[in-house]
Amino acid sequence: MLHIQNRELVVPGQLIAEGGYFIREGAFREGDRIYASIVGLADLRGQNIRIIPLQGRYIPKRGDAVIGVVIDVHRSGWILDLNSPYVGNLFVSDLLQRKVDLLMEDISQYLSMGDVVMANVKDVNELMRVQLEAGEAGMGKVTGGKLMELTPTKIPRVIGRKGSMIAAMQNASGCQIKVGQNGRVMIWGDDPRMVNAVVEALLMIEREAHTSGLTDRVRLMLENIIEKIKLEGGT
Amino acid sequence: MKKPEKLIIDGKRLDGRTPDELRPLKIQAGLLKRADGSAYVELGENKVLVAVYGPREMHPRHLQQPDTAVLRCRYNMAPFSVDERKRPGPDRRSVEISKVTREAIEPVVFLELYPKSVIDVFIEILQADAGTRTTGITAASVALADAGVPMRDLISAAAVGKVDGTIVLDLNKQEDNWGTSDMPIALMPRKKLITLLQMDGHFTAEEFKNALALAFKGCEQIYEAQKQALRERYSIKPEGE
Repeated sequence: MLHIQNRELVVPGQLIAEGGYFIREGAFREGDRIYASIVGLADLRGQNIRIIPLQGRYIPKRGDAVIGVVIDVHRSGWILDLNSPYVGNLFVSDLLQRKVDLLMEDISQYLSMGDVVMANVKDVNELMRVQLEAGEAGMGKVTGGKLMELTPTKIPRVIGRKGSMIAAMQNASGCQIKVGQNGRVMIWGDDPRMVNAVVEALLMIEREAHTSGLTDRVRLMLENIIEKIKLEGGT
Repeated sequence: MKKPEKLIIDGKRLDGRTPDELRPLKIQAGLLKRADGSAYVELGENKVLVAVYGPREMHPRHLQQPDTAVLRCRYNMAPFSVDERKRPGPDRRSVEISKVTREAIEPVVFLELYPKSVIDVFIEILQADAGTRTTGITAASVALADAGVPMRDLISAAAVGKVDGTIVLDLNKQEDNWGTSDMPIALMPRKKLITLLQMDGHFTAEEFKNALALAFKGCEQIYEAQKQALRERYSIKPEGE
């Protein structure tokens, strides 16, 4: 039996349901009863209960695409800051996708301190040791572009249903956008004003993540800015 | 401050409250931009600001726990929070209150979800008027929820005491100074589990029972206000730019 409506705002300790439901996120079970453990919006689908978080840190999960910043270099790899309580470990072999003879090669030629890296979370163990890999196409060291940080819980909204929000922003602005689950976003564009317009759009998504019809409003906002840029002239 | 002749006149307290009445309570969540979670609580003349950071990487590293997160609490009184300037920095009293606050909050937080990390809770007393530890705990649990930290329940805290032979809820400064006993209580309201119980002075067994029942009643009201504050913080704002 459910005690709340779909999309209802819940607070920690609030009774959500009784009986055999599956908990996906943001809730816990005590005997037969299921309670919310975080502040969030209830997402009830059939037998599945999920509380969509509104706040919180990024916790690495296997399979996530993330954007890291190199904070340390060691003999066989790098340590990356992931905008999370936990750092990521990237080995040379997971960056180059081949065996590397550490006696023959100097790995500092591939990445150095402060470099931005697109990576996938390969594995997270019970001690929260995060293994990364960055060998696939589109992964690895990032050059150029603008790096931005948002609240990690708002990232699904930035992506949109099946990537609709990103597609809308890319089409409207002509910029290329890549998103990491850890709340970091990379934006590449020829016109810095367009890049700034995308930054504005992202900040708007962060502010209004919980409202509906957001994709259309974002597109409208971007088109307005682009109109202004065209009037000013230049590229 | 001089001792008033009577603290309860015709069943009313000096500030006009009945014995089972709380002081006016105001809770606001999420007002600090740079903290992960925050809360501001006013309970009568008490003004408390709480900031929560984390879960974040634990430094120094040797304090990391491999299987769980660590909760760190700091209760601090501003030098201007009391009548006579308080010497800044931790003292015997605030170190103790930091510890009991941590122990009052720890049981509700799912610390095991974030091994090796730390959750920092900073409780700043901006203005004190008796009952700051309970106000601090109340505010801290709202701030933790605001930070998105998973919790089993909120924590509500209130003090009860004996003034002029009457059991009263939520003592103010005068009642705290001239009353005969004071008992701060924190609890998990959903299951009615007590996480903090201290006592200064004496109660008979009968008085203790009544006092406890009164504290539960007070915490219930605080709990509702806490939930209300969190809902207000995240209620869907009107659309538009």
